[in-house]
Amino acid sequence: MAKIAIDPITRIEGHLRIEAQIDGGQVTDAWSSSTMFRGLEIIMKGRDPRGSWLMAQRI
Amino acid sequence: MRAVEDALGIQIPNNARIIRNLIEGIQYVQDHVIHFYHLHALDWVDVTSALDADAAATAQLAQSISDWPNSSPAHFQTVKDKLATFVNSGQLGPFANGYWGHPAYKLPPEANLMAVAHYLEALDWQKDVIRVHAILGSKNPHPQTYLVGGMAITIDPDSESAINADKIALMRKLFVKAKQFVDQVYVPDLLAVASFYKDWAGYGGGLGNFLAYGEFPGATGDLLLPRGIILDQDLSTVHPVDQEQITEYVTHSWYQYEGGDQASLHPWQGETQPNYTGPQPPYEFLETDGKYTWLKAPRYEGRPMEVGPLARMLVAYASGQPRVKQVVDSVLQQLGVGPEALFSTLGRTAARGIETAVVAEQLVPWLDELVAQMADGNFTVVNTDHWDPAGWPAEAKGWGPMEAPRGALGHWVQIKDEKVANYQCVVPSTWNASPRDASGQPGAYEASLVGTPIADPEQPLEILRTIHSFDPCMACAVHVVDGQGRELTRVEWEGRM
Repeated sequence: MAKIAIDPITRIEGHLRIEAQIDGGQVTDAWSSSTMFRGLEIIMKGRDPRGSWLMAQRI
Repeated sequence: MRAVEDALGIQIPNNARIIRNLIEGIQYVQDHVIHFYHLHALDWVDVTSALDADAAATAQLAQSISDWPNSSPAHFQTVKDKLATFVNSGQLGPFANGYWGHPAYKLPPEANLMAVAHYLEALDWQKDVIRVHAILGSKNPHPQTYLVGGMAITIDPDSESAINADKIALMRKLFVKAKQFVDQVYVPDLLAVASFYKDWAGYGGGLGNFLAYGEFPGATGDLLLPRGIILDQDLSTVHPVDQEQITEYVTHSWYQYEGGDQASLHPWQGETQPNYTGPQPPYEFLETDGKYTWLKAPRYEGRPMEVGPLARMLVAYASGQPRVKQVVDSVLQQLGVGPEALFSTLGRTAARGIETAVVAEQLVPWLDELVAQMADGNFTVVNTDHWDPAGWPAEAKGWGPMEAPRGALGHWVQIKDEKVANYQCVVPSTWNASPRDASGQPGAYEASLVGTPIADPEQPLEILRTIHSFDPCMACAVHVVDGQGRELTRVEWEGRM
C-alpha cells in the first residue's frame, strides 16, 4: 500500500494537488486540494455591482 | 453579469444575446481543441514513439480517417524530422517531462506521429480563430466589451471601429476555419485515439450525478444545450434545476462559517472567511481527515455533482436534443460501445469533442442572425433602462447561471444601497474538484479516481488521464520546472506497507 501526492497538477489560476492511496495496483481513495486562496468574493463587497463582472471574469 | 442583470430585472437586446453567444461559442471551440491537443492528448500519445513511425504509413492512416488536406507523407516526414531534431538536441521543448515509454501508452507509432503533427497545427489554428474575441471583445483573454444590460461594442456599417460588413466577413472566414478543423482533425483524431483506449470506458466514472445550467439562448429564450440534472447515471429522467437547492459546505475546507463546520449555506447567504489549519510547507501530506483545501464543497440537494461537457451532453442527450443525440449516437456507434460507456474518463473526453462539433456548426448560423438584424436596421446592443442606480430598489438579489467551457458556473449577488452586499461564485472547478462534505461524501475528482489502475505509482499517468479529462485548466505535464530549472513538482511516497 502506498500514498502518493502529485503537487502541483498545474492550472492557469491556482494550483491543484491530488493525494491518492494506492493498493493492489489501483487507487483506493483520493483527495483533491486547491492550494491557493482566491478571495475575490471579499474584494467585490462594497463595490459598484456594474463592475462586478470585470473582476469575476478573472477567476 | 447575468447575476446583476437578474437582480435588477434587465432584459438584454437581441443583438447582445447573439454577440455573447458568438464570443462564448468560439471560446468553447478554441478551449476544447486546446484542451484535447495541448493539455490532454499527451496522456494518451507517446511523443517519443512517434520517432519510430513510418511517414508514408502515417499519411495512409490520416487519409483513411479524414479528408484533411495536410496529410501527405512529406508533411509527416517533416514533422518527424523536426521532432528528431528536438530529441537529438536533448531538448524536447513543449514535449519535455512526459512519462514517455510508460506501459499504459497503447497507440502505434503512426497514430502518435499523426497526433503530434496535429498538436503543432492546432497551435497555429487556435491563435487565428480566437481573433473573433479581438473583434467582438477587444481582447483575449478577458473580453472587455461586456456591459450590464448588453454589450459595449457598437454595430454600425459606416464605422471602422464598430461591427461592420468587413468584420462580419472576417468572422465568417474564421468560423468556417474553426469548424473545418473540428470536423476534419479534432473529431477524427479523438475517435482514432479512443479506439485504442476503450478500456478507459470502464474507469473514471465517479459520481454519476450531473448538473448543467444550460447555455446558448435563442431568440425566444430556448437553450441550445438544455438545463437539467441527471442522477445516479439514470438517463431516463432529466430533473429540473432549482438554484435554491445549491449550498456549500466548509467542513473540509480552509474556511469557517459563523454557524459552524457542519453547516451548509446557500450562496446568497454565503460567507468567505478564510481559516487555514493545514500544515506549514514543506509538508509531505495534508491532514485529509480535517480541512485540506481552499475549495468549498458545493452540493445540490445535498448531493455532489459533476459539471462540464459530459454533464451538458448527458442532459442534452437524455432531454432528446436532436442534434446532440445524433452526434452522440454516431460516436458511440463508431466506437462500438453503448451509452453506459459515457460514464467514464473516455466518455468525458469524447463528450467534449461531441460538444465542440455541435457548437462549431452554430457559429455561422448565429453570425447570420446578427447579419439579419443589421439588414433590418436594428443596431441596438444595450438596454440602459436600469443603468442609473437612482432607479434601483434599496435591496435586490440575483442569480447568474452560465455554462463556461469547463462547466456550470453560477454567480449570486446581493445588492444593498447601490453596492454589492454579498457576491459568491460557485465555479465549475469548485464542483468538480470539491472536497468531502459534512457527511463525508467525496467530490467528482475524488470519486472518479477510485478504481483507477496504476501501473507504476512513481509515474501516475493514469491519475492524470482522469483528472485531465475534467479539464481543470491544467498544463500537460506534472513535472514543472521554475526559471532556475529546479523541479517544482513532486510525486511523494509513503513507503510500501
